[in-house]
Amino acid sequence: MKYIVIGSSAAGVNAVRELRKVDPSAQIVLISKDRNIYSRCILHQYLCGKRTIERLNFAEQDFETLYKVDWMKGREVTGLDRAAKEVILENGERVSYDKLLIATGSHTFIPPIKGLAGAKNFIGFRNIDDIEVLKEVPKTCKNIVVLGSGLIGIDCTTGYLEMGVKVTLVDFAGWLLNRQLDKRAAQTYIDKFAEEGIDQHYGVGVSEVIQNEDGYITNVILTDGTDLTCDFFVITAGVRSNIEFLQDSGLELSKFGLVYDATGRTNDPDIYGAGDVSGTSPIWPVAVKEGLIAADNMAGKNAAMTDFFASKSTMTFCGIHTMSLGNVTPPDDDPSFEVQTYDKNGVYKKIVTQDGVIVGALLQGDLAYGGVLQQLIARKIDVRRVKKPIFEVDYSDFFHIDDENYQFYYDE
Amino acid sequence: MYRIKIDRSRCIGCLTCVTSCIVSHETDSADARNRVVIDSQTRPAPIFCRHCDKPECVFTCMTGAMHKNPETGYVEYDKNQCASCYMCIMSCPYGVLKYDSIRNKEIMKCNMCTHRDPKGNPMCVEKCPMHAITLTEVEK
Repeated sequence: MKYIVIGSSAAGVNAVRELRKVDPSAQIVLISKDRNIYSRCILHQYLCGKRTIERLNFAEQDFETLYKVDWMKGREVTGLDRAAKEVILENGERVSYDKLLIATGSHTFIPPIKGLAGAKNFIGFRNIDDIEVLKEVPKTCKNIVVLGSGLIGIDCTTGYLEMGVKVTLVDFAGWLLNRQLDKRAAQTYIDKFAEEGIDQHYGVGVSEVIQNEDGYITNVILTDGTDLTCDFFVITAGVRSNIEFLQDSGLELSKFGLVYDATGRTNDPDIYGAGDVSGTSPIWPVAVKEGLIAADNMAGKNAAMTDFFASKSTMTFCGIHTMSLGNVTPPDDDPSFEVQTYDKNGVYKKIVTQDGVIVGALLQGDLAYGGVLQQLIARKIDVRRVKKPIFEVDYSDFFHIDDENYQFYYDE
Repeated sequence: MYRIKIDRSRCIGCLTCVTSCIVSHETDSADARNRVVIDSQTRPAPIFCRHCDKPECVFTCMTGAMHKNPETGYVEYDKNQCASCYMCIMSCPYGVLKYDSIRNKEIMKCNMCTHRDPKGNPMCVEKCPMHAITLTEVEK
């Protein structure tokens, strides 16, 4: 059996590990544009010099030999010939497969901003190459404008802050991390950033950018008319899946990305997908699990993605920690939601319930043992039987241990 | 592999295990890597890392700091590789994990006291007066 895995990030690397575990004698080929294995979630620590490129590696140092994988680094798959069961590389070379996993991830989405086309001084915050550029930017540029205050935009902002560089932050949403935080939790960061000297503009978009005759952006004009001086423009306004090379392949694609089922299988029984390439849940743990599950099924071991709960994140910015789970901003006018909050001494907690089931939770300043909440939300467990304050909910009321291996489990 | 077997019916909530854990690890913040919690019927429940067969903390770790040792089966944690992103805290289904209370950097993760004996020799098990927790060999 010969497997090809395309992509060497969370989904691809874990798929290789699992393929080797399940199929010790198989030939495994890993093809990636990346020359190194590195975690995109900690690029901000590389930006500010807290972490070297070696310490961005989330896999074993001897990954290639340990898993006996033929790794074609720095190579790009540009086409797919399903009839011949071959992938086509950038130089026309063809590599054959019996089973193929597409874990090509996603790339920075560049919105169609007036005046942006052809500009030389803008970039995303996605790949190691982006960060290499961004590391050098403060040496020559004073005014850095970051578009987007999602997790990536704030990673970039705080990475720069660690270097003593104060960016200007712009987001169309009413507050930063709008998907993860309610206004109260966001305000903690907004106030902290203001204190640190970050110029913040929320509730406004970019109406246009002004280029000089040499092709450099000099000004960013916001929809409220604000004119920002700009020497470098960083765009973190979402991602798009890397499916360009599949356009003529006959594989089913949605407007978000590659389509595959809970086992990872696409409409071609020998081709699987995992991770951000689906364009549906671009978070690390989903990519890892999809990689493992696709690998199991490719190697003939049945597995399916059952944990679809992907609306979750943790963050630490300026030493302030937050965990966000599910729906933390229910509509004000819907009486079926009950909201309980705790807000004291730098700790803010909010739990949203509906008919006795927790649907959302925010923990800021104290995350200890918060993992139980994710299970209660994902499993829709009725928590009305818990006779303690909801903020003190723990596993004791759901405690089950199996008699054979003594692992915990949920029975609900 | 070895796992700490929990007999909940024997636990009286004396917290000797929690103290033992702090002593064994000499953690300056005096945080434990295990806990005993009380349910709505006031029964104690010992919550100890299971070193799961399918460890959610490992699946969610974006740096490789949390990893399963294929030989011992223990889920090991490398604090130097850790980025303190806390995704593992969020992912542990049983609420075993937290960060240290002084620097908020290090995850309080059970290592089966492999610093005492590479094969694992948890001090909590040794000190439990009720034998509610015992070291037992398991399939997975």
